[in-house]
Amino acid sequence: MPPTALSGPRTFTRRTLLAVSAVGLVAVAGCTSSDDGQEAITSEQADELAGQVAVQETLVAAYELAFQADPALAAAAAELVTQAGEQLDRLRAAAPGDRPAGAAPADAPPVVGAQEWLRAQVAAAATSHAAACLDQTGARAALLGSIAAGLRGHEALLA
Amino acid sequence: MADESTETTEENGALADALAAEHAAVWGYGVVGAALPSGQRAPVAAAENAHRDVRDQLAALLTERGEDPAGPEGGYALPFPVLSAVDAAALAVTLEDGAASAWVRVLARGVDRPVRELAMAALGAGEVRAVSWRTAAGQTSTTRALPGLSAP
Repeated sequence: MPPTALSGPRTFTRRTLLAVSAVGLVAVAGCTSSDDGQEAITSEQADELAGQVAVQETLVAAYELAFQADPALAAAAAELVTQAGEQLDRLRAAAPGDRPAGAAPADAPPVVGAQEWLRAQVAAAATSHAAACLDQTGARAALLGSIAAGLRGHEALLA
Repeated sequence: MADESTETTEENGALADALAAEHAAVWGYGVVGAALPSGQRAPVAAAENAHRDVRDQLAALLTERGEDPAGPEGGYALPFPVLSAVDAAALAVTLEDGAASAWVRVLARGVDRPVRELAMAALGAGEVRAVSWRTAAGQTSTTRALPGLSAP
C-alpha cells in the first residue's frame, strides 16, 4: 500500500518509532544521590556497576589480543574494538567511586581460531552485562542493557 | 524518590510506547517483505513473528495491569519510499532501531524484574536482526555500541 493511500498516517521516524528515544537517560547515569532529583544508587548497585567496568576492560583487552593474533580479523573488525571502547567510556562515566581494574582474559587467543575465541569473550561479557542490568535501575539499567545488546550484535557479526 | 504508584505509571507508559513500536514493526515488516523476492523473505517472516510475539506479550501484560493496550494505528507513513531490496533492508533497520529505543526506555523506567527481563531479551534479539539488516542495506557500519540509546 503506498504511503499516499493511507489516511491519517503516523510517521515512523518521528512519532511511532523514534519518539521513544532515550534522550536524557544517560545524563543521569553515575549519580549517587537523590538530593538533587537525580537517581540514587545503592552500594550494592555501585559495586556491581564497578564490576561491569572491569568486565568491559577485560573485553577490550580481549579484542586487542585477538587482533594481535589475527591481523586479518583486526582489519575486518576494527570498528568493534572502537565500539567496545566507547561502551567502556560510558560505563566508567556512570560508575562512581573507586573500581577494581579489569583482569586480562583468562586465556590467550589461539593462533588459529582467534575469531571464535573473541566471539566467546564477547558473548560472556554480553551475558554478564545483561544479568547486571536486571539488578540496576534507571539510566544505569538502560546503559547496561544497551551495551549488552550492542555486544550481541558484535557476537552475531563474529559468527 | 518517586513513590511506587508513580514508578508503576512510568513503567506502564514505557510499556505502552514499546507496544506502539511493536505494532509499527509488525506492520512495517509487511512492507519489507513485499519489497523482497519470495526467496528472501524467510528472515522477514522470522522478524515479523518475533515482533508479533513480543507485541502480544506486551498487550497481555498491560491488560493484566488494568490498562487498555492500544491497537495498531489505522495507517503509518513510511519514512522513505521502499522501492528496492536495499530500501526494504533500510526500513527494517529503522523498525529495529525504533523498537530498540522503546525497549531501552522500558529498561530505564522498569520496576518489575520480569518486565526488565522481557526488555533485555527483546533489545538483544532486535540488535542481532538489525546487524543483519544493516549489512543487507549496504551500511558501512553494521553494529552499534549503544543500541537504542542516544548520544550523551
